[in-house]
Amino acid sequence: MPEIGALRALPAKRIIGFVADAAERWSDADYAPRVRATHAIARRLGYSEPVVDYALDRLFFGITRDALTAAIVSELGSVEALDGLAPRAGAPAAWARGADRVVVVSSDTTIGVAIPPAIFALCAKCDVVVKDRSDALVAEFFGSLAEEHPAFASAAHARAWRGGEDDDEARLLAEADVVVAFGRDEALRAIRDRCGAEARFVPYGHRASLGRLSARDVGELDDALAERIARDALLYDGDGCLSLHALFADADAAALQRAGDVLSAAFERVSVEFPAEPCDAAAAARVAAYRNVAAFRAASGRGAVYRAGGSTLVVGAPREEPPPLLPRVLPLVAGDDGALAAYVAEHRIPVQALGVTDPDDAAVALAARIGAVRVAPFGALQDPPLGGHHGGAPRVADFIRWIDAR
Amino acid sequence: MSGAAALDARILAAIGAYALDDRAFLALARDLFAYQIARNPPYAAFARAVGYDAARLPARIEDIPAVPSAAFKEFRLATFPPDETTAWFETSGTTVGRPGRHELDTTRLYEAALLATFDRMLLADGARLRYCMLVPDPRERPHSSLGFMMDVVARERGEGEAAWLFHGDALDVDGFLREAARARADGVAVCVATTAFALVALLDALEERGLRVALPAGSRVMETGGFKGRTRVVTRAELYARAADHLGLSTAAIVAEYGMTELSSQYYDAPGSRARIEPRVKIAPPWLRPIVVDGEGRALPPGVVGAVRHVDLANRGSVLAVDTEDLGALVDDGLVLLGREQGAELRGCSLDAESLLARRA
Repeated sequence: MPEIGALRALPAKRIIGFVADAAERWSDADYAPRVRATHAIARRLGYSEPVVDYALDRLFFGITRDALTAAIVSELGSVEALDGLAPRAGAPAAWARGADRVVVVSSDTTIGVAIPPAIFALCAKCDVVVKDRSDALVAEFFGSLAEEHPAFASAAHARAWRGGEDDDEARLLAEADVVVAFGRDEALRAIRDRCGAEARFVPYGHRASLGRLSARDVGELDDALAERIARDALLYDGDGCLSLHALFADADAAALQRAGDVLSAAFERVSVEFPAEPCDAAAAARVAAYRNVAAFRAASGRGAVYRAGGSTLVVGAPREEPPPLLPRVLPLVAGDDGALAAYVAEHRIPVQALGVTDPDDAAVALAARIGAVRVAPFGALQDPPLGGHHGGAPRVADFIRWIDAR
Repeated sequence: MSGAAALDARILAAIGAYALDDRAFLALARDLFAYQIARNPPYAAFARAVGYDAARLPARIEDIPAVPSAAFKEFRLATFPPDETTAWFETSGTTVGRPGRHELDTTRLYEAALLATFDRMLLADGARLRYCMLVPDPRERPHSSLGFMMDVVARERGEGEAAWLFHGDALDVDGFLREAARARADGVAVCVATTAFALVALLDALEERGLRVALPAGSRVMETGGFKGRTRVVTRAELYARAADHLGLSTAAIVAEYGMTELSSQYYDAPGSRARIEPRVKIAPPWLRPIVVDGEGRALPPGVVGAVRHVDLANRGSVLAVDTEDLGALVDDGLVLLGREQGAELRGCSLDAESLLARRA
């Protein structure tokens, strides 16, 4: 990294303002850097441009002064704590001093996943290097930040991730005070091994999300609820950790079948907005294999298979089978909360979020039981608020060290 | 409709002749299909669901309803009652955690099919070889189809006693070195039958000891299987180059077999493609046909990559058409297989099936 600390001279409140202003520009779908990034992402990942636009809207519309401020205040007590000693009720005054060097490694390809940690690290006045895959989203966004204030040109850098193997990457990881990493287990292990002994390592592994319909929910399942569920399952073709990967319903066979009817019709409708993208031969073979086994089962009177809008809904999927984790494939499994918890335990599923109709105490208790870090109403599963704890971790607290003074 | 004995006689005749033209293949396949749906209720139900029954038989080979290989894990797919099972082979249990079974009421077809193909693909020179087995020992794993197959080959085509050198999950490297030395002393060519994983283990051990083994002239390697469930994966090019170097063979003497527990017949590298390591073309015996299909199960033309479906007429006692997740493309003279890892990169942060499997291992 070149000279560090370029943002330290700026009050955190101003940094928040610059970030929010840049995000506002990015909220405009016709903003030239965004148009370029949209094309690049669509080309690389194979999503349609409306889907990429949808993802970018959700990302940038959420980055506002208020949301950034609220997240920081909720974790640090005040924004001013990032600037210097700040009084704290019943505790010593303290300065939430940002780390010098933060590296964010996005070894996988989720759209814009590196941007939220990067902007919180910048708000904490850290120097940030984002190691990203080949599209230009982060670099373009950092370019917009630099237009807001030249200090960002020194403080925020985006580079291509090459797997941590070359000297430059090894040095970056070894010198970083904080390393945020997104990836599969083996990638996270490899990155962690390259970090300094005292570096703070913040891993975000690949996870799955589940949904639960109570017996009452099943009875009340209507088109609107079914469309919200379908949206959670089909958006990004189920590629996200917040995508709905399996849906449990506390229902007997007849009620389950009825739910399948309503859901499949909703899948058809939602697929108009989020059409299926062509998948590669390997994924197509896996989907076909899963669907054909379900069809084989259905022919013998066990469950049903629906195909709607390029997606597959398997009704009565067996609990002894793990979630298929395939694009646009949703198993609907019969079972109550206990069955869902047993399913998660049996298959050792790392759960990210639980989708429900009502995030009440019972839902939160179930989430705690299955290790989920987010409970969300159907339809909002893939729309986490900026002020929430991503992956159960704080947004900004990982990027600072407290300096107490009496 | 034909009874088992009549069908077996026709299948054995095709195996014996090592020939079956398209018309005869289709006729036998239709009769076999009719036989199977009359006796195999889950297959009959599946066939009915896609529009076929005794009154409406598939018009083309591509139309024969294919059973996904994973269905063997959930259903008993046999045309005979359980008490008539004389042998069964166990599939891997990696997908849903439990193995499947391929049951046989007789091993006659299985043995005839495997020997006829092995003769032509590995023993075209008529050699009587000594067999060094780096595959499961049937005395330890009686339900391994690979162990069964090689036991039959060694018994029927070997020059004497076979050496079984893979026990549990451990390779008997000293035993292999002893056998190699004995073969050299006796001047008898060897066939090393091995899984890819065991071959890697052998080569690693030889390298660790700084050894190279010169197998007698005429020796060969039959390699099968990939690295499913293993933590280390090497490329076929690397594996074959190392094997040739350490065993004193040409890479053309290393022949890959491609089979699966749910089938009764095997593919081998076409002799004409053995001069190179990749791509090698797999060829099937006349009673086994590969079809490459898209995600909708539609047959794809040559050269287009899709999932491989097998129509195996030697599968008289189970189901003749089996769908797999293996990727491949038809070429003029056979099938080119592609690894399952040929898919595009992961697009998101969702857990994937392989990672979940690794967590459960």
